Amino acid sequence: MLLSRVANRIYWAARYLERAEDTARVVRAHGEMIADLPTDAPESWRSLVAVVGSSALYDERFGDGAEGKAPPEARVVEFLLADSTNVASVVSCVTASRENLRTTRETVTRDGWQALNDLHLYVGVEVDRGGDRRARERFLSRVIGDSRRIDGILATTMIHDEAYVMWRLGRAIERADMTTRVLGVRAAAVLLDARPERAGDGATRRYDELEWMGVLKSVWGMQMYQRSVSGPIEGERVVRFLLEHDRFPRAVRALLREVRSALRELPDPSSVIDGVDEVDAALRDSTAAGVDGAALDGAMDALQEALARLDQRIHARYLRLG
Amino acid sequence: MNLLTVARYARPAARSVSPVPEPWNELLDEHGSPRPPAEGLYAVLESLDFDELVTRQEAAAADILTMGITFTVYSDGRNIDRAWPFDVIPRIIEATEWARIERGLVQRLDALNRFIDDLYNEQRVVADGVFPAEVLADSTNFRAECRGVHPKFGVWAHISGSDLVRDADGTVYVLEDNLRVPSGVSYVIENRAVCKRAFPEVFARQSIAPVDSYTEELSKLLVSLAPEDVTDPCVAVLTPGMFNSAYFEHSFLAQRMGATLVEGGDLVVSGDDRVFMRTLDGLAPVDVIYRRIDDLFLDPEVFKPESLLGVPGLMRAWKAGKVAIANAPGAGVADDKVVYSWVPDLIRYYLGEEPGLANVPTYRCLYDDERSFVLDNLRELVLKPANESGGYGILIGNRASDKELAAAVEAVTANPRDWVAQPILQLSVAPTVCENAVEPRHVDLRPFILTGETSYVTAGGLTRVALPKDSLIVNSSQGGGSKDTWIVDLGAGWGTY
Repeated sequence: MLLSRVANRIYWAARYLERAEDTARVVRAHGEMIADLPTDAPESWRSLVAVVGSSALYDERFGDGAEGKAPPEARVVEFLLADSTNVASVVSCVTASRENLRTTRETVTRDGWQALNDLHLYVGVEVDRGGDRRARERFLSRVIGDSRRIDGILATTMIHDEAYVMWRLGRAIERADMTTRVLGVRAAAVLLDARPERAGDGATRRYDELEWMGVLKSVWGMQMYQRSVSGPIEGERVVRFLLEHDRFPRAVRALLREVRSALRELPDPSSVIDGVDEVDAALRDSTAAGVDGAALDGAMDALQEALARLDQRIHARYLRLG
Repeated sequence: MNLLTVARYARPAARSVSPVPEPWNELLDEHGSPRPPAEGLYAVLESLDFDELVTRQEAAAADILTMGITFTVYSDGRNIDRAWPFDVIPRIIEATEWARIERGLVQRLDALNRFIDDLYNEQRVVADGVFPAEVLADSTNFRAECRGVHPKFGVWAHISGSDLVRDADGTVYVLEDNLRVPSGVSYVIENRAVCKRAFPEVFARQSIAPVDSYTEELSKLLVSLAPEDVTDPCVAVLTPGMFNSAYFEHSFLAQRMGATLVEGGDLVVSGDDRVFMRTLDGLAPVDVIYRRIDDLFLDPEVFKPESLLGVPGLMRAWKAGKVAIANAPGAGVADDKVVYSWVPDLIRYYLGEEPGLANVPTYRCLYDDERSFVLDNLRELVLKPANESGGYGILIGNRASDKELAAAVEAVTANPRDWVAQPILQLSVAPTVCENAVEPRHVDLRPFILTGETSYVTAGGLTRVALPKDSLIVNSSQGGGSKDTWIVDLGAGWGTY
């Protein structure tokens, strides 16, 4: 028996921790990719802000034209990792996740809570060193590693009851959302650059493969892509892999399978299942739209909207205090 | 620097005002040698230098931080979740002495519960002239809404915490009884977990009474309170929410008992007076509520209408016998520093026994003769508001300025019933890890007493320590720390009574 209020907090603890991890992965992958690009290649740190959906706040803070004034890397990284006024920053997400879990300590296992509390203490102390690239790598590894560790602890110490299902749901929906964001912003940008009328622009084309690798690495899909596709890294295949693979745990289709499987454990989920069907439909539409920059961007927006409606259905059915 | 030398010979600075005797040291005798139950600990302490002790203290503090043992303080306009302050050197009580204290506490709560039940029903104690009607009439904690209710076993204060202090001559006094929503028991259990890691070698060698069984006993007690027709009762812990200073404890207890931690908004009372909680699967019945919310916030239909913490209709359900509430609404009537002064009389009246634990002599300002004594001797007394908890509003006569004393005279004269006064006790001290050395610091003790069909007392309780030098205020909201409390068996065995 699980209180709706507690279910709500576990769901959001999971979403926030997943968002912290995913943001850390995106920042890390971008840093690695930039290191491989020649210094005269157009940098795209600013695009990370769009990936996590914080463009409005960022522009309000730093202004559209301010790009040239300070090194964008330092500013974007600070904004994404350490800025406590940015609700989507890693430090804000870890704090929010911990606050949610702190109020459900009687439901989650003590080990899981302690691991998250420990990460929160670490993040609070270390976050200011994110500007230095080497210290940043340690910081990102810790956030990603601890997030995985907490998942493992809960999976192996909690009863797999409704409370654990809420955790799985929060994780899966947030992760699916992030995959669509990476595709909608990063992949769409590479595809736009690769349009036939720009094909002669060698300076951009030359780095396409690196960019696609960056896309894959942002969602930790590089190795599994290669194992699954066993061919060169091509834009269309990367997009299809991240959307449609039904066994890669960060691909949207596989995440929808996870959401369905979690929902089957909950009492009378039919209204929520309808929401999953809607996301499925949006996913099919995105495939039909073909792999073209603008179309992909639009299709990903549609997927994100469908995911948001699924989230609303979960709230209406299970989490709202009636 | 040798730790033991410091612990034995460091003394608190002499007070300049009235000459006071040396405080009783809980671990060391008048020659500076460890008292018998502390010998095992001192054998280990003597082998450590101060740096090693500080290392253990720091390790304990780190444990507390990562285990997330916290309390919430309201400061600078916001709530801060702060690490629980803990001193690594335990406070030790010998088992046969503890058995005597335990008997005294059980007796005290037995009498207090009979008193509460009597006040809400026949009021024999008033009719027989033992307890004055005018004191009852003035009581802010008497809830007329509770008259005529008969909780199971006649018990109203199921969970209580009585604060004990030891004076310079070694006498243990009850300083006050907390019958509303006493907190601190989770820290008793957590302090032990931390202390075991700090001094594993002592635990291996000595017979130290375990404290873990409290939550099991509490769970049994709560289940026993369920309405008769319920077979598999659902127990919920009702918290005001995460901003309450004791939220950690509410969560801890719910978790240890496998009970559901609920907030007011999680509960709903149906038209036929039954209590339910809102779950993923719809409404689920609740049979027993361990409430950690004050009476006045429990039910906006009956008490404060603006309360958002409570549950509309909860009092109805309780009076109809559809749900048990612990502690029962109205139990606080006996948790009052004026009523306190009658407890020895109540023990004699209800039980026909002499009190096993001493009461601190208490002057009640509502009586003219006692008030004039208080006003004439304010410098020698501690003046306390009758209905405050948390150490707020206390005036210690020999430490107060002339201005503070004048303000106190005015306050007492204006509202005599709100004030009581007691002699200034010389609180006992215990060796405590301070910045540069182990120094004596004042301590008190809050054991927790469970009362239902049978009674249970924690093995020891929460030792609170006033960390600033010479301070007597032990409350964690005001700079107090805590210690693990050991009941050490030297061979006589426990549970002998």
